[in-house]
Amino acid sequence: MFFRMIAGAFRRQWKKMLMIALTVALGASIATAMLNVMLGVGDKINEELKAYGSNITVVPSSEAVLSELYEVEDGENKEEYLSEETLNEFLTIFWANNIADFAPVLDTSVTVDDTEVRLVGTWFGHHLEFVKKGTTYQRDTGIVNLRSWWDVTDGVWLDEARLDGDRYAMAGRQLAEELDLKVGDKLIVKGEKGSEELELVGIFESGDEEENCIFTTLSVAQRLSGAQGKYKKAEVSAITSPDDELAEKAAKNPELLSGDEYDLWYCTAYVSSICFQLQEAIPEASARAVRQIADSEGKILEKTELLMALITVMSLIGATLGISNLVTSSVMERAAELALMKAVGAKNGQITRLVMAEIILTSIAGAAAGYFMGYAFAQVIGQTVFSSAIEMSGMVAFLVTVLVIAVTLVGSIPAIRMILRLRPSEVLHGGH
Amino acid sequence: MNKKRRMFVRMVLASLLRRRSRMIIALLAIVVGATILSGLGMIYYDVPRQMSAQFRSYGANIIFVPREGAEMSIEEINKGIGVFPSDKLEGYTPYRYENTKLNNLPVTLAGTEFSSVLRTSPYWHISGELPAGNGGCLVGKKLAEKFGLSAGDTISPLNSFEITDDIDISSIPESEIYEDPQTGEKFCDHSLDLKISGILETGGSEEDYIYVTLEDITDLMLNERGFDIVEVSVAASAKELKDYLDEINKNAVSLTAKPVKRVTASESTVLSKLESLVLIVTLVVLALTMICVATTMTAVITERRREIGLRKALGALDSSIVLEFLSEGLVLGAAGGIVGSILGYLFADIVSMNVFSSAITFRPLLLPVTIIASVIVTGLACLIPIRSAVDVDPALVLKGE
Amino acid sequence: MKLLELKNVTKRYGSLHALDSVSLSIDKGEWIAIMGPSGSGKSTMMNIISCMDKPTEGQVIFDGRDITKDSRKKLTEFHRDKIGLVFQQFHLINYLNAVENVMVAQYYHSMPDEKEALEALERVGLKDRARHLPSQLSGGEQQRVCIARALINSPELILADEPTGNLDEANENIVLDLFRQLHKEGTSLIVVTHDPEVGEVAQRIVRLEHGRIVSDKRNDSFSE
Repeated sequence: MFFRMIAGAFRRQWKKMLMIALTVALGASIATAMLNVMLGVGDKINEELKAYGSNITVVPSSEAVLSELYEVEDGENKEEYLSEETLNEFLTIFWANNIADFAPVLDTSVTVDDTEVRLVGTWFGHHLEFVKKGTTYQRDTGIVNLRSWWDVTDGVWLDEARLDGDRYAMAGRQLAEELDLKVGDKLIVKGEKGSEELELVGIFESGDEEENCIFTTLSVAQRLSGAQGKYKKAEVSAITSPDDELAEKAAKNPELLSGDEYDLWYCTAYVSSICFQLQEAIPEASARAVRQIADSEGKILEKTELLMALITVMSLIGATLGISNLVTSSVMERAAELALMKAVGAKNGQITRLVMAEIILTSIAGAAAGYFMGYAFAQVIGQTVFSSAIEMSGMVAFLVTVLVIAVTLVGSIPAIRMILRLRPSEVLHGGH
Repeated sequence: MNKKRRMFVRMVLASLLRRRSRMIIALLAIVVGATILSGLGMIYYDVPRQMSAQFRSYGANIIFVPREGAEMSIEEINKGIGVFPSDKLEGYTPYRYENTKLNNLPVTLAGTEFSSVLRTSPYWHISGELPAGNGGCLVGKKLAEKFGLSAGDTISPLNSFEITDDIDISSIPESEIYEDPQTGEKFCDHSLDLKISGILETGGSEEDYIYVTLEDITDLMLNERGFDIVEVSVAASAKELKDYLDEINKNAVSLTAKPVKRVTASESTVLSKLESLVLIVTLVVLALTMICVATTMTAVITERRREIGLRKALGALDSSIVLEFLSEGLVLGAAGGIVGSILGYLFADIVSMNVFSSAITFRPLLLPVTIIASVIVTGLACLIPIRSAVDVDPALVLKGE
Repeated sequence: MKLLELKNVTKRYGSLHALDSVSLSIDKGEWIAIMGPSGSGKSTMMNIISCMDKPTEGQVIFDGRDITKDSRKKLTEFHRDKIGLVFQQFHLINYLNAVENVMVAQYYHSMPDEKEALEALERVGLKDRARHLPSQLSGGEQQRVCIARALINSPELILADEPTGNLDEANENIVLDLFRQLHKEGTSLIVVTHDPEVGEVAQRIVRLEHGRIVSDKRNDSFSE
């Protein structure tokens, strides 16, 4: 009989039930979309923050400060280098997938038209491919994403994949104005160990001292400086987790961590653990966090996540109130019907069970529909803002289910209290 | 007509005040909608400002450098700084760089203002502390490793130069002057004892320098000259920054103000993403909430079909029934809008205090917008069910269940 | 003098003949009971007389005027001026108090006037309950408010649909006494009922079965 009554309620009241289901679906979709966006926003903003360029630099561990300063004095070159093979190791570390981009840098002093100029050799859309222990690693990377703030005002970005042969260069705007360089010009560049003819493919504005430099491919710089197969420094842009207490503790000395702490630290993408792993893989190198970028990233991420979390809480409260509100009103609407049931002898418990069963069944249907709507909304948000999909977390489905059931139950409380208070005579004589 | 209007008001008020539970439900729905509208609206409008302040953790976004062949004058620096509104100016720090020698090896000394340096370079990690004043210094980590220095040590950077006729040597102690016996040229080795108060770690080129006070660098170099660079950190949008820079560069003759492109360009990129994120989230949540409000209103009205039928049976014209119910809805919408816009403001303020530790900017315009929006949404949400209710034959409604 | 005339009125809902060529004529000041079992067409007839429904075929002449051809709006106005309705379920607006419920009828008719409304309540013996909400009134009291509302605009005809269906005997008598009073004052009354006790007090009794009039006779036991 119980089931027949429920089935009856659905048949007779399908419009009202549909309304409840719709509201629950809307609420559930807000919850699903917001929770997914909230959980995914960290990764997305982290990727956006890569615009600031590298947050880790890798230099030879024995590199002397003195060498750079000697340059100031007399240009004498007793540089320390890293060998080009060490760049392969960037792809073999535990957190390799978090390394968004990296590029080696080799700078040297050259002369163009009798003017002394700093020339920087690096990778531009470089294809790296190698086999290690039977695994093939490959990656296309380079300086382009590490200099997102550059404006190439004339010409185009240098691109190793498109322009073959090592005879191209880009120049900073200030240098170009000083030497009256134009895109398409062929420059004769004289270095310590040779000279090259380079074609200028682009002129960029960077707003810093790099505007006085010539940028070219790594191999050209190696030939000019005589440092074949070597580089001076690598810039790395890694997607990292914001530092917390553990990371700060580890930053002082990883040896002091307890076993569990060490494992947790090693397996979290802290900037310090990525640096540590790079140093492990390349013993002759020292990897350091660029504090300006790494610290700020953490701060911005934390703020954004907190902001989204609070907006999510606000929307959840809204959705919750919306659902419980409608549940309450829809039960109240049926006061007369329920009073009649009471009048013919139904007990409070029976009526309550009946009403609850109806509402929970409706809510579950609504929540299921809402989950998929929310999925769609989350993807709309992801595609519109970040042009990429937002990963769906299984936890969200669970959370939304729990939330909807809890909210429906809570929303029913005033309604059930009303049922218990209901005196049949009053309602049936209440006119209407 | 007056009596009629009074009765109209009486009916609308009675419906609002005596059907308390129903009205609370409807009002609650509208208040929730209005709160979300005004709260998210205020957050959306405040995000660029608040986030912009957070982005100052990247440090200076503007630098003043001397014009070709000129020395930056203090007046012009102050005038330039004066262009930035004081609530947007995070701080500014001057630097003077000099080459000196330490243990006979060249090192770069930077004179600066320690009281403001952390405002333009908040990312400096100092093991130890900032120098309290003259006689103290910060040593970059790389340099410290090279020379085996640590906090507490004392160093004596050396300023070694040839004394030419145009240098006033009266203030230089006799003991620091010596003569090259072969050429007869006179040299001076002037040094200063500095106590290392902390080691500086940044992961950047700062780690190669020694930082001292401006007075100490003047003492060591025995001369005073203009700054090499002034770093300025300003929390402002890209467009505002450009306006400030244009104004400074229009008037200044000894200095040029330039944006630090790495910081400003990247900030606009990330900030625009963040803004559009909050915008679209606001739009999606708002749209869904408004539909929620509408379904609740629809439920509340649909419940009164029989009353609508009765009014028709009493001879009411469709238009007057629509008018009565709509007025009720509009009163509810306005009341909910007023309450919601205030709650929304409070909510936005809580969010702002928690996330950014600063109060939200009150946008007075959002109040009328919220109220009007709730009135419109409520009105529309009422209109649809009323229209369908007045179309129903009163005989059917009054007779049947 | 004739108040209302139904000429061969037929009402079909699909293939169902709710009313099948019914003719009936009612004089001014008459008190008629329309009786019959459920499904006999009582309600359909009532709806057609009260202008809330139109016949499929036939004519309804009210006060010398054929109302079957009038527009809906005209019908509403006509009905509002001439007819007062009394319902089985009272249909009071639950958030308005007794006097306000009466005033609603005035409001849609012409001009609300609280004094007149209070007088109407006094007539049905509810002056002291005027400020009570329907939920605070007994069934009989609610029905009396409903009657006060029906007569506030001095209609020529009061149509009552099972007016005592939800009432106990004491309240039933109060309502019937009110009808007697109204009849004395010259108001025409049509009472639709299946309750013989309510039917027996009318001046004339019309019996319906399967949409047809099976008997129409003056009530011999009627007492003025």
